[in-house]
Amino acid sequence: MRFKAFLSTLGIFCASVALGSDHNNLEKDRPLRFDDAYSTACRSFEFQAGFGLDTFHRSKPIYNFKFEIQYGFAKNKDISIGLDPYFTSESGKLVGNAIHLSYFEGVSREIGNNPAFGYRIDAGIPISGGDGAEFRVRGILTKTLVHYDKIHLNLDYLQTTSGTSSERKSRMGAIIGYSNPIGYPTRFDRTLLAEFGIEQGMTIGSGYNSWIGIGLRSQVSPTTVFDFGVLADISKASGELSSPLRISVGYSMNF
Amino acid sequence: MSFLALILGLSTLAQEPLRLQSPMPEVPTILPRWLRNRGADALFYKAAPYNWAINRIPPFAKDMYATGVGHAMAYEALVTGKHQELESKTFATIDRVLRNPPSNPIDEAAVSPRFVQKYGYLEKVFDWAHTLHFQTIDVLMHPGWTDSQKEAEIDRLWKFYSSEPFAISGLPMNMEYLDSFPYSGSFRKNYPKVNGLFWGYHWLQTVNYDMLFRVPVADQKPQYSLVGQRYHETELYRTDRDFMPMTAEMSPRFARRFPQIANAFDNLHMLHDNVNDILAQQSLSDAAKQSQVKIAIYRVLASTHVGEEAGEGEPKTLHDHRFPNRMPGMGMMVGSDESIMYMSGMGWMDMSECAHCSIPLPDKGPWGATVSAEGWTMTVRCMMCARDMASETPGRAIIRAATEDENRLLVMISDEEGNWSSNINGIVFLEEFGEHPNCSMWSRVFTSKSAFDKFVATVPELKGSKPLSLDQWSKLNHGTPDTYRKVSRPNPYGNGIPPTLGGSK
Repeated sequence: MRFKAFLSTLGIFCASVALGSDHNNLEKDRPLRFDDAYSTACRSFEFQAGFGLDTFHRSKPIYNFKFEIQYGFAKNKDISIGLDPYFTSESGKLVGNAIHLSYFEGVSREIGNNPAFGYRIDAGIPISGGDGAEFRVRGILTKTLVHYDKIHLNLDYLQTTSGTSSERKSRMGAIIGYSNPIGYPTRFDRTLLAEFGIEQGMTIGSGYNSWIGIGLRSQVSPTTVFDFGVLADISKASGELSSPLRISVGYSMNF
Repeated sequence: MSFLALILGLSTLAQEPLRLQSPMPEVPTILPRWLRNRGADALFYKAAPYNWAINRIPPFAKDMYATGVGHAMAYEALVTGKHQELESKTFATIDRVLRNPPSNPIDEAAVSPRFVQKYGYLEKVFDWAHTLHFQTIDVLMHPGWTDSQKEAEIDRLWKFYSSEPFAISGLPMNMEYLDSFPYSGSFRKNYPKVNGLFWGYHWLQTVNYDMLFRVPVADQKPQYSLVGQRYHETELYRTDRDFMPMTAEMSPRFARRFPQIANAFDNLHMLHDNVNDILAQQSLSDAAKQSQVKIAIYRVLASTHVGEEAGEGEPKTLHDHRFPNRMPGMGMMVGSDESIMYMSGMGWMDMSECAHCSIPLPDKGPWGATVSAEGWTMTVRCMMCARDMASETPGRAIIRAATEDENRLLVMISDEEGNWSSNINGIVFLEEFGEHPNCSMWSRVFTSKSAFDKFVATVPELKGSKPLSLDQWSKLNHGTPDTYRKVSRPNPYGNGIPPTLGGSK
């Protein structure tokens, strides 16, 4: 499986967090794919570790791991670097052929009726046998909905540097995310997440991938958050493997 | 108006102290540019090994974490038009959290999203000051460092805090001035129960520093059984305070060592009070509230007072940085001058004197002791004054006292019957009752018999003195000293609430 195809299938391209280890501060892939529009706090380092299990109808499962470190290098700005090794029972090998770099900027917080706005630029750079780099620009809007709950709109533009003539060099995608703290006003340590996402398939004319997900972020200590999520494909572009169930478990710690 | 009514009216006016009344403030010509920043500007605390040491005393940590919800929930209610619910539903909600505190810190912005949409710039000031609050506590509770290392780190923390534009001034500020605007006092008057909760946890946020400062880590936790009990049973529900608790009143030792931090906390809490009052003003438009909140922030920012000095300034103005005697960590209060100040619940005090015998406190050498009881903390000259003052006060008490070893602070806690326990085994007391002006010489505590002997040998007048055990010493009582003088003046807040608590005789 080529690097970019792998990324597209598993949806784990260049993730990063938007804020420190706070269950309210949503981070891409911890456990769902959407971001909120806020950066990690200035001067904060955050380490994230995750494990994912992807099941397929006509293929053996893939076990993927995720390690990432982020740094809030300025107010409203962070950078991150990460690795996503994965293991397939078919190959019996642990493969880690890309390094992920990311830059995030929170342009505006939520002011009055205007949503918070931020953007992220990701780069997936091949290492040790991978081929083709992939870049993504993501625009993010976050807005309070009813009271404590928020809606998050992520719009993605992806560009790849390699591929056959039948494959797209650029693709578009969108995710609508929803977050709602559970337990207010008596508990303050858990946030429920949900998302619906859609993106163009890899191959020209292959249609769209779409999925839904639900997850939970739970504060374990002042500096650590545990997350758990489940995603399922609704539709899959032709030629791409459909996953009825993806499970993600993660742990974030800042320092 | 009849002649009698006129006389009665004039008589009433004559009795009421004159309170400063300032006009509605106008927006300064130049406000700090960061107030217009659109970013969230989230800041991380100083990375250090002591972070979250507060969790070493879980009940204390939880109570401190719970304080995050109070103002946030009240502000959210006020900006969403639910002011009618403040004293009922909002009070009950906040109180429930304070009674059942969370195990982890609370993101105040998440609890008050509508408030933050409107006043996000204010949240930056609060967040940054609250970070200083917590990190100072963490340093003091860190088990791995000496007191000197901790003090040096707190000095560094202050510089770290002050390096951000959101930093609040560490200069003492005139609290009468800051509380003199047309909107001032309306929140505490109209919402006394919720305000009581706020001032109750401001009590906790200020009283804890003397509980921790220069106190061995192992001796910090036992104190919280008393402090926490007092907090939950009494301080949270008091509606009879004249003014918010001040750091230097609650933690006088800490405030003398770190006056800038004490002042910053008081200025922060005053900003909270100003914002309470502004948001509760039904007569102000949203735009006017925004302006007044920005002005309130401007008043207390460090950047507004650059180049100004503690102890100086034109009285009762924004730039009045005078402070009462021996109280560099506290601005001037209503009615106070350099010599005396009014302490809510205690009456008029000269803080340069022993609270029990009225003899001036020494500037050098062992500083004596502090007595904490009934929610107040007072400084006294000697161990006898500490014991006798505590015994005059109902309920449990804490004495924190200097020993001959400046690195060993004595912490004694009494039960309801006045039986004392000590953090130092084998302490011995000197008490050769004599003239009160010399009490700090003949009434002392030592960490050992040998230290006692060494001291007695250096003072000819004490030749032949016998060391007293804790049990022997605690049975003594010399009552109110004849040197004690009570300052008799009316309550400057004019609330008619007599000082029912405390050490005033």
